[in-house]
Amino acid sequence: MIFNIQRYSIHDGDGIRTIVFFKGCPLRCKWCSNPESQTYGPSLMYDHRICKNFGDCIKMGEPAISLKNGGLSIDRTKIKNTEEFRDKCLTKALTVIGENLGAVELLKEIEKDKLFYQQSGGGVTLSGGEPLSQNGSVKFFLDELKKNNIHTSVETTLHVTWKQVERCLGKIDCFLVDLKHTNGSKFQEFTEGDLGLVMANLKKLDDLKEHIIIRVPVIPGFNHTLEEMKEIVKLVVSLQSVSEIHFIPYHTLGSEKYKMLGMDFQYSNYKAVSDSEITPYLEFANLKGLNAKIGG
Amino acid sequence: MIEINESKKISKRINALREKVLSAKPSICTERAKFYTSVYKENEDKPVIIRRALALEKTLKEMTIFIDDGELIVGNHSSQLRAAPIFPEYAVDWLPEEMDDLDKRPGDAFFITEHHKQELLEIAKWWKGKVLYDKGRALMTQELRDIHDAAIIKATGNLTSGDAHIAVDFIKILETGLSGYLNEIKSYAGEVKGYTKEGIRKAQFYDALTIGIQSMSAFIKRYADLAKYLAKQEQDPDRTKELETISENCRYISEKPPVNFQQALQLTFFVQLVLQIESNGHSVSLGRLDQYLYPFYKQDVLTGKTTDEQVIELLENTWIKLLSINKIRPWAHTRFSAGGPLYQNVTIGGQTSEGRDAVNDLSYLILDSVGNMKLTQPNLSVRFHKNISDAFLMRCLKVIEKGFGMPAFNNDEIVIPELLKLGVEKEDAYNYSAIGCIEIAVPGKWGYRCTGMSFLNLMRVFLAAMYDGLDTRSGKTFHRGIGHFKNFNSYEDLFRAWKHQIKYYTRKTVEIDTAVDTALEENVPDILCSAFVDSCIERGKTIKEGGSKYDFISGLQVGIANLGNSLAAIKKLVFEDEKISKEDLLEAIENDFIGEKAERIQQMLLNFAPKYGNDNDYVDQLLVEAYMEFINELSNYHTTRYGRGPIGCQYYAGTSSISANVPSGSVVPATPDGRKAFTPVAEGSSPTSGTDTQGPTAVFKSVSKLPTNRIMGGVLLNQKLSPASLRHDTDKKKLISIIRTFFADLKGWHVQYNIVSRETLLAAQKDPEKYRDLIVRVAGYSAFFTTLSPDTQNDIIARTEHFL
Repeated sequence: MIFNIQRYSIHDGDGIRTIVFFKGCPLRCKWCSNPESQTYGPSLMYDHRICKNFGDCIKMGEPAISLKNGGLSIDRTKIKNTEEFRDKCLTKALTVIGENLGAVELLKEIEKDKLFYQQSGGGVTLSGGEPLSQNGSVKFFLDELKKNNIHTSVETTLHVTWKQVERCLGKIDCFLVDLKHTNGSKFQEFTEGDLGLVMANLKKLDDLKEHIIIRVPVIPGFNHTLEEMKEIVKLVVSLQSVSEIHFIPYHTLGSEKYKMLGMDFQYSNYKAVSDSEITPYLEFANLKGLNAKIGG
Repeated sequence: MIEINESKKISKRINALREKVLSAKPSICTERAKFYTSVYKENEDKPVIIRRALALEKTLKEMTIFIDDGELIVGNHSSQLRAAPIFPEYAVDWLPEEMDDLDKRPGDAFFITEHHKQELLEIAKWWKGKVLYDKGRALMTQELRDIHDAAIIKATGNLTSGDAHIAVDFIKILETGLSGYLNEIKSYAGEVKGYTKEGIRKAQFYDALTIGIQSMSAFIKRYADLAKYLAKQEQDPDRTKELETISENCRYISEKPPVNFQQALQLTFFVQLVLQIESNGHSVSLGRLDQYLYPFYKQDVLTGKTTDEQVIELLENTWIKLLSINKIRPWAHTRFSAGGPLYQNVTIGGQTSEGRDAVNDLSYLILDSVGNMKLTQPNLSVRFHKNISDAFLMRCLKVIEKGFGMPAFNNDEIVIPELLKLGVEKEDAYNYSAIGCIEIAVPGKWGYRCTGMSFLNLMRVFLAAMYDGLDTRSGKTFHRGIGHFKNFNSYEDLFRAWKHQIKYYTRKTVEIDTAVDTALEENVPDILCSAFVDSCIERGKTIKEGGSKYDFISGLQVGIANLGNSLAAIKKLVFEDEKISKEDLLEAIENDFIGEKAERIQQMLLNFAPKYGNDNDYVDQLLVEAYMEFINELSNYHTTRYGRGPIGCQYYAGTSSISANVPSGSVVPATPDGRKAFTPVAEGSSPTSGTDTQGPTAVFKSVSKLPTNRIMGGVLLNQKLSPASLRHDTDKKKLISIIRTFFADLKGWHVQYNIVSRETLLAAQKDPEKYRDLIVRVAGYSAFFTTLSPDTQNDIIARTEHFL
């Protein structure tokens, strides 16, 4: 399931890229800026700012959807079929996030910017969510992209089975691997995931000499200390196929989306990280011989 | 490899001059109006061209001149810095009507004294009924006047000022000097057959040219005298020397061709200045400055006569001088041309006639100096071609990053091949330059207004197509339709109705243009401008009589995106999905989408129909088909010069609608694209504000589907980027790469970038004093944001900001 196709992305791999965002992720990072990407099924998103109270959704969705304080109150647990709400709201204040698109349909969108990929050395980046945790459709999609000579990158947490990685090997030109921490218990506390799984996959990819770029989200309260970053950098240095590291500063652009999805945002107390706060990490990574930069 | 370091240092003198011009309050100068009125009064017996030559002569000989402290390039437009002269021969009625409110205008205010008001009232009285505006309207049929008054087609700017939209032959001017022109005129005058009617007229023309050129020489000599006088008074020895140089230079170039860079630049500026004293037409452009000044630059640098620092300073001084020239327009036209722009374009880059990259050291210096000044003038354009270097484009982006919208890019890859197809000679085609904002012409060989003829309000035509020809705004049916929308059975019916109406209104634009052009030709011929355009002297004709080598013109079609979006919304939602009934749609737009039923329909129109600018073939193709109806009909007509000498004499389409989208929208009721009544329509060829959700590549793709080769009046595309999007060189490289794709592969016409954050704009709206030098792109040119009316400001803020 796809929740967004974003053309002209320039910070997620080489050149001009189209990012295909897959819906569904095995992790639950507390700071996640794409909360709509977490579940594998469709999500109902509501933006009260553009709602005109036409009431169509209430008629369809009572009692799960009701009017409260001039806006909607949505009890998502009581909605049986989210799909029913697709394209029903005229103002698009209430939208269904996530759509099943076939490889052919996707490819048609991707090919629209082919000239821009060629000129810039760009291509497609699969992101998410966790693209590798999708069903077989991802593999099929990657096949189509390679048949059409389109450069492919995948942004992944690697928090998947090796089988899920393996079936895509040879079709991914560049792995953008999220490396969030080196401490397993801290990793689990903040993401509900198993760092061991990530590390094992990373090691295998490294052994296979795949093209890997490490992306480190710089998250206050989690890994935003020189000490923790040094550990991450040291780990990266130990990998044989990695020479590039990107520090991705935490931002709060996603916070509004939590409200719109009826989700709690546990990271609301933290402010965005500025580039200057990252400079010491950058310097350390450079010192260790890595090609480091801020952003993608 | 060119190694010109970025020059960021601005000298003290330039800073002071810049500050002075920026803080000068626009006012009114009555000198020219008085001179022209007295000469016209005293010479009523004489042919108009002689009257105009004498009026120009009196003005150039008697107008106040001054040299400001520290100036290296001299020449002033009126009695005070930034004072706009009055050109009564074009239009006067608006003066008494508007003079009490000039200083209260929401944008482009002018200060005027009571004394000047009284003078102008006297002047206006004499001119009543004698001016271009009256004569042009008199040439129109009642039907055309009604269409014009109903604001479906607007030509106010064309009826209230001179033509311009031209670049003269600077190469020849610098080569032969003014004396060269006098000799040439004399030799052709000697061949005149005085026994024919044509001969008599030609003799008058040559007399007028002689008076014109001699007056210009005299004007330049006045500066030589003034500088000499000031030099004698000056205490500072350095300044004395500068003034002496100015004096010597002016004396020399008052007749002879320049021999060094400063002289060449000074003469170029004098030409630019005098053309704008002769006529108040705007978009008087400098052409390919980096090419024709290069030999002077190279020679001076090689011989050690000058340094790059000195050249930069001279250029910066020239840009300040360009900004000191001012124009006042009637309010009705001001709204179409917000920000008081004169669109004095300088073009750099491009190719040589052999197809080699023409970027040279001077191109860099011009680029940097314009970037240093961050002024609204000149309007800087860079000619892109596929072999232009990344280094030069990177330097361009560094200037763009400063956030004043310059330089804009034009594209050799589309312009040159298409010019060749139109019959333009190879050498000329490779020497084209931007004129004004995005339109193009061959400098010194092309007539007026390669764009800038009348404005056609496409959405008014579209609504007439829905209402069986009725213009609901004026209540008039100018052209009976083929039926009413409520009786249409298919999209094809709607399209037929559009075709029927647009054919009619296309013809009416040409009829209005023809009336205006005839009035301009007969009443306000330009003398100097004709002298400097090939082949007026040879033919003994003014430009308007057919003196120019080439003549292709275009009007402006406003509301491009709205047209496509309206067609798509109706096709999809009414005829295909049957989500909206015809009756409900009509009711909703008639109620301006007020009331829940109408509002629901508006939301469907906005959210459930494809929008132009998103690379969606459905809507993009509908737009192209509809626009082609206009374009094809237009190809049936010729200009008033047809058969009188120039190559071409044809029309092409144009979308360089500057800020006209705001006033054009203000006379359009609600439209089927979901747009509320009287709000702005989309500008140029850009998507409707806020509807291009797929980012810049999708916008490029949509725009490039337009039949660019038939829209040689320009396909204007504004993109606004946040400053963050250009912060790193890697970001800039990616932007360069999409520009390359847009131009080299997709053959786009033009793009310009507005790098300014929404927050900055909002802050500037609240606190204009603090943001006096904040410049934004308003369609094809740059303007000071704070001088724009709140409506235009809001429109700019609303345009989608693409985050990279």
